[in-house]
Amino acid sequence: MKRSSCLIASAVSVLLLSFLLWPIGVVAQGPIKVGIIDTYSGPPTTYTYDVRDAFKLAIDEVNAKGGVLGRKIEFTTRDDKFKVDICLSMAKELIMNEKVDILMGTINSAGSLAVSEYVKGEKVPFIVTFSKSEKITGEKGHRYVFSITENTAMIGKAAAAGLAKRPFVRYWIAGDDYEYGHALADGVWGNLKKLNPKVELVGQSWWKVGEPELTPYLTAISAARPDAVIFATGGASMVNAMKAAKATGFAEKIPMFIHTATEHSTLAPLGLDAPEKVIGTSNYHFYYPDTPKNKAFAKAFKEAYGRDPKVGALYGYLAAQFIVKSIEKAGKMDREKFIDAMEGMKVDSPIGEIEMRAYDHQAMLPMFMGVTKKVPGYPFLIASDIVTIPAKEVMPSIEEIKKARGK
Amino acid sequence: MFERTIRSRAFWPLCGILILLFFLPLFAPRFYVYIFALIYVTSLAAMSLNMVVGFGGLFQFHHGVFYGVGAYATALLLAKTSAPALVAFVAGPITAALTGLIIGWFCVRLTRLYFAMLQISLGSLIWAIVFRWYSFTGGDDGIHGIRMPSFLSSPQSAYYFILVVLTVSLVLMYTILKSPFGNTLQAIRDNPQRCEAVGINVRRHQLLAIVIATFFAGIAGVLFVVLERSVFADLLFWVLSLEIFIMCLLGGWFTFLGPVLGTAIIVSLRTFVGKFTEYWTLILGILLILVIFFLPEGVMGYLQRLGGPRPKGSAVRKEEIDASGGVGL
Amino acid sequence: MTLGVAEVASQFLVGISRSMILFVVCAGLSFILGVLRVPNIAHGSLYMIGAFATFSITKFFPGTTGFWVALVVAPLFVALISLIAERVLFCHLYQREHLMLLLFTFAVSLILGDLVKIVWGAEYRSVSAPPLLKGSVSILGASFPRYNLFLILMGPIVGVALWLFTTKTKIGKISRAAAVDREMVGVLGINVSWVFAFAFVIGCFLAGVGGALVAPTVSITLGMDHTLIIEAFLIVTIGGLGNMWGALVGSLIFGVTHSLGVLFWPQFAIVFPYMAVVIVLLVRPKGLLKSVW
Repeated sequence: MKRSSCLIASAVSVLLLSFLLWPIGVVAQGPIKVGIIDTYSGPPTTYTYDVRDAFKLAIDEVNAKGGVLGRKIEFTTRDDKFKVDICLSMAKELIMNEKVDILMGTINSAGSLAVSEYVKGEKVPFIVTFSKSEKITGEKGHRYVFSITENTAMIGKAAAAGLAKRPFVRYWIAGDDYEYGHALADGVWGNLKKLNPKVELVGQSWWKVGEPELTPYLTAISAARPDAVIFATGGASMVNAMKAAKATGFAEKIPMFIHTATEHSTLAPLGLDAPEKVIGTSNYHFYYPDTPKNKAFAKAFKEAYGRDPKVGALYGYLAAQFIVKSIEKAGKMDREKFIDAMEGMKVDSPIGEIEMRAYDHQAMLPMFMGVTKKVPGYPFLIASDIVTIPAKEVMPSIEEIKKARGK
Repeated sequence: MFERTIRSRAFWPLCGILILLFFLPLFAPRFYVYIFALIYVTSLAAMSLNMVVGFGGLFQFHHGVFYGVGAYATALLLAKTSAPALVAFVAGPITAALTGLIIGWFCVRLTRLYFAMLQISLGSLIWAIVFRWYSFTGGDDGIHGIRMPSFLSSPQSAYYFILVVLTVSLVLMYTILKSPFGNTLQAIRDNPQRCEAVGINVRRHQLLAIVIATFFAGIAGVLFVVLERSVFADLLFWVLSLEIFIMCLLGGWFTFLGPVLGTAIIVSLRTFVGKFTEYWTLILGILLILVIFFLPEGVMGYLQRLGGPRPKGSAVRKEEIDASGGVGL
Repeated sequence: MTLGVAEVASQFLVGISRSMILFVVCAGLSFILGVLRVPNIAHGSLYMIGAFATFSITKFFPGTTGFWVALVVAPLFVALISLIAERVLFCHLYQREHLMLLLFTFAVSLILGDLVKIVWGAEYRSVSAPPLLKGSVSILGASFPRYNLFLILMGPIVGVALWLFTTKTKIGKISRAAAVDREMVGVLGINVSWVFAFAFVIGCFLAGVGGALVAPTVSITLGMDHTLIIEAFLIVTIGGLGNMWGALVGSLIFGVTHSLGVLFWPQFAIVFPYMAVVIVLLVRPKGLLKSVW
């Protein structure tokens, strides 16, 4: 055989062999392994870093006290770059290669749904940390998937509860043209109409996700002169919407409601340049409730990472609590026992006690509705006049879940 | 026709590797069976792209559309109807080829960058439709948990199925490229004006090449569904098309198996380097630059060069043509 | 919905102001495409660096001067990066296949993208408009941000500057000549390699200007490069490769069809730019205006 063919054959063989000799994750006793698949590139990173960092903070604390049942907890992360095929691929790598006991992630709803389907077959518990699709614990929920974050059904109910009390009748709906935006809008509008049948929808605008220039949309909306506008945006569009609203003076003239307008992720980058009087809802504020537990949490986070915790930090912390407490209750790291233990589990958190509803594996999170306001002492706007909407008012009923799952 | 191939330097080692791959599930851990299968699927997509890029000289910048359409066609039939799996599997490449025919018909009227941009625009329109049509296509949530026939239910059987289909497809593609049609295609790539002058219908040849390539892309899409049991709108987005294109370039687009190697490198890099650093795209970028500087014919081109005289249609000859005042971009 | 003249006019102007940012970026991309015949995929990354650099500079010089300083310094910074990339790596590749040059710019975009993440982190950044340009004015009764008026002014200024540069200055004329026939330029004894370097740096400088201009209007995030680059390529193609006025026409088509589409058919505005490209390329397969080569 000629030299080159030998070279090719041996190169490929070496490659194949090296794959087989690659260190595979250790099984057996030793640390408990958690795998996090999430997006650490592009715009979502600002949210997901908080989830990971708060998780690390909580886990470090537990490990310092000797771990869980004498075993330390280790976690490893993978970046899916907000691509569903990489998300699924990396989830498979974490389970098959890294051999994690528990899986966590991701901010991409399609990714969470794909991974959820996969873990069903693998029988690995998967805790969703930031995806908002209600299908995760609703229509597509099952034994092996949990969610410790809000979803569009809950947001819809909470927002409607708050908006119904206000005097607006003629609404405009605007948002990001993808599943999350539409589901959010449908959730808010559906519930609002139920609570206040007088409301009417004057028009809708939908822009592509991440659309940088929202001024044309705002001028079109103000031409219609609605009483209020419901914005169904995610991520970067929220900041863009707030900026455009400030620049055109829109926020002064027409009341705006944006889910997470009051949340720190949106307000922090805008500094003192954010518009006031915007109504928003959020799962977490580092300054409210002003309890010792929340203060201590925010302080520890800031000391460790140099920034104030945003809503992702709450989710990361909750994930850690649920995991640790459930393993303790189960008595050992057995996946089935772990799932049984987590159902109905109650953990303490910076915003109070949170329960994991047994039926649909959805954490029962309250919602905080507030209005953006400039307050002396902070270099950014904060939420004021905060009203707490308790979890029970926010969760879809068990009958609704049963119906969605076709039972 | 195959004598020269069998007598060529690479044939027997390649057969050896193929046999090794067939036995892989017997000795490799589960995860490697999955990763190899993923490499097979993606490399089929890359190979199909290379038919028109490397051998046809067309700027097919949105090949992912056909890959995605094939995957969605199969997925929709399996998830929404009770059609038999075989029907769904055949529908994939046929739908992809039809899409290729329609989009290709518009695109072949243009050249180079204009061809590419028109394809990106038309492809993006399809993406937008799939992305928005939530009730039918699942929108950006995608469709998951797609049913598979029982003979494909285990990961091992999926692996064998994919490997067999890949091998058959590669043999078919090789045959087509070595045929008179394939030779004409390469002649068109090297000098379209001369071909026109000799009476060859350049546009029709290119269109036919696109239809064939997109047919194979559709097959790759079907294999994707077999492997992952999911489809999502990302498959039709231009970023994936660019990734597949880069796999071809990295591996060496003047060689037949170059794209396979390029795919293997990128998928491995992504999977294994991603464990250690979240900046693996930085590493990929540096790797690409090293390849550009030191391995101008791609990795496979370099490996082939080591063994003997320059392969046909090498990068150097292309430069000569360009320098003589060729068409440019 | 009452669509008065005021609203349509205001919307039209908004479309134009957005087009101006696109024009500045695309003029640079088109210039590079014309002279070097390379589609610069890294253009989006340089735009993003321009925006992030503007953020850092305005943080360093708070108050009224920050933005104006950034408008000058950020593009220079971007130009410096591109000069280094060009002299160290790119210039050795001019003899290569076009696809290899494309691959190179893609690799650079990957590297720059991750470098931005390493240097600036993942947080959203925001830059405020300078006090002179804050707030809005009333145009026929509809409110219009002052900053967008500034953009409408800047576009033509950059365009005229570029036109003067390429037609009146020696180096500009040489660049244009090199775009049409690089061999002839070489034969005349001019160092073509330096001409290329120069053209590349100017083009990237413009990307930086675009990034600086866009900074006060959007949230500055990772991933800005991807959203921009595809639009930029589409615009440059429909305008005519290498043709600056083509970039202007293309940008205007993009910006205005988008903003008017938003007003009249908000559900479908998402596809308008693509439809516009399809229509243009089918009617005029070589772009609207003459391409340089």
